[in-house]
Amino acid sequence: MHRRLSLGVALALALAAARAVPAGQRGGFQPPAGPTPRLASGEVDFSGVWAKPYVPDMSKDGRDQKGVANLPFTPWGEHEWKTYDAGEGDYTGSCLPFGLTRSVNTPEPMQIIENDKYFAFLFEQNSWFTVIPTDGRPHRTGTPTWFGDSVARWEGDTLVIDTVNFNGKTRLDTIGHPHSDQLHLVQKLSRPDLGHISYEITVDDPKTYTAKWTNTRTFTLRPDWEIMEYSCEENNKSLWEGRIKVPKYKK
Amino acid sequence: MRALSYVLAAGLVAAAAAPVLAHHSFAAEFDATKPITLEGTVTKVEWANPHIWVYLDVKDDKGAAVPWQCEGGPPNTLTRNGWSSTSLKAGDAITINGVLAKDGSKTCNAQRVKLPDGRLVFAGSSGGDNPRQQQ
Repeated sequence: MHRRLSLGVALALALAAARAVPAGQRGGFQPPAGPTPRLASGEVDFSGVWAKPYVPDMSKDGRDQKGVANLPFTPWGEHEWKTYDAGEGDYTGSCLPFGLTRSVNTPEPMQIIENDKYFAFLFEQNSWFTVIPTDGRPHRTGTPTWFGDSVARWEGDTLVIDTVNFNGKTRLDTIGHPHSDQLHLVQKLSRPDLGHISYEITVDDPKTYTAKWTNTRTFTLRPDWEIMEYSCEENNKSLWEGRIKVPKYKK
Repeated sequence: MRALSYVLAAGLVAAAAAPVLAHHSFAAEFDATKPITLEGTVTKVEWANPHIWVYLDVKDDKGAAVPWQCEGGPPNTLTRNGWSSTSLKAGDAITINGVLAKDGSKTCNAQRVKLPDGRLVFAGSSGGDNPRQQQ
């Protein structure tokens, strides 16, 4: 009995320890240590290639990320969630744009490039990117898009990215949590030291959820990595051979 | 090569064993309740995004070669873990533990690829942050 208990405790401790190691530090990798880097303007510089946790389900806790259980669905949101079947149409499998949250959710790394006017996510997944003005300009209006329209502002040393004007054709994560075209995302990034980014994303979508909810993560600097080309279309056999279907969107 | 070339096993594959497929929904294409073990000979490897594909001939009960195809990880992740397009070559004898496609075709998602001497090929590639494994 005691031995079983000890084994159980040891397993739990081992699992907890494994979860405590940031994703980019598995396999003995340690990011460089040092103070938070800054641009000449004095703002925090987030530039670098970053390992990020794979988050297929934003409602669950996982390695380097904490989710929210029991998402507060509206009736419309709950219907969208319960009736989702990727087998009837998988837009990412079809190589359509992942959208903002699923691009951040992928296990592939991303590069951040930043200057005094712009902040850019360069996602390895499908070689997509999003460029975000940081100079205080308002949101652009126009045709809603897969990645939405992002603008950013500084709150002290935290960069706050505000994104609206989504087309509503994406899902928040691989498992298929829904959102509507009323989605409003707020991402907050801080860099407590050279090797890490603390990341927080808040989902605000009154058509789908009765309250805002937040997922938090840690990104790890990988100066030994470079972003590689990723052509989703090059050999997407699963789509060509009919095992993945293109979703039917209303036009 | 053993006469019994592939074995369909009933049972559940643990969710944790399902590979990371950021490109598409695993459930859209594969049936996690249908694991399969394939023993065969590599005929071709396609090293391209979004996933590599391994083609192999598997002998049926009468000794006839039956072509199968199995999806692997993304080449970028495999490269970061030390693998390359030549890690597996035509003619290599391999055992694949995987999961069958839903459409009934001779298609699988490869969760483990093993050489006769026990070495695992393409291991440690379920995410961009996994350590390099033995080659």
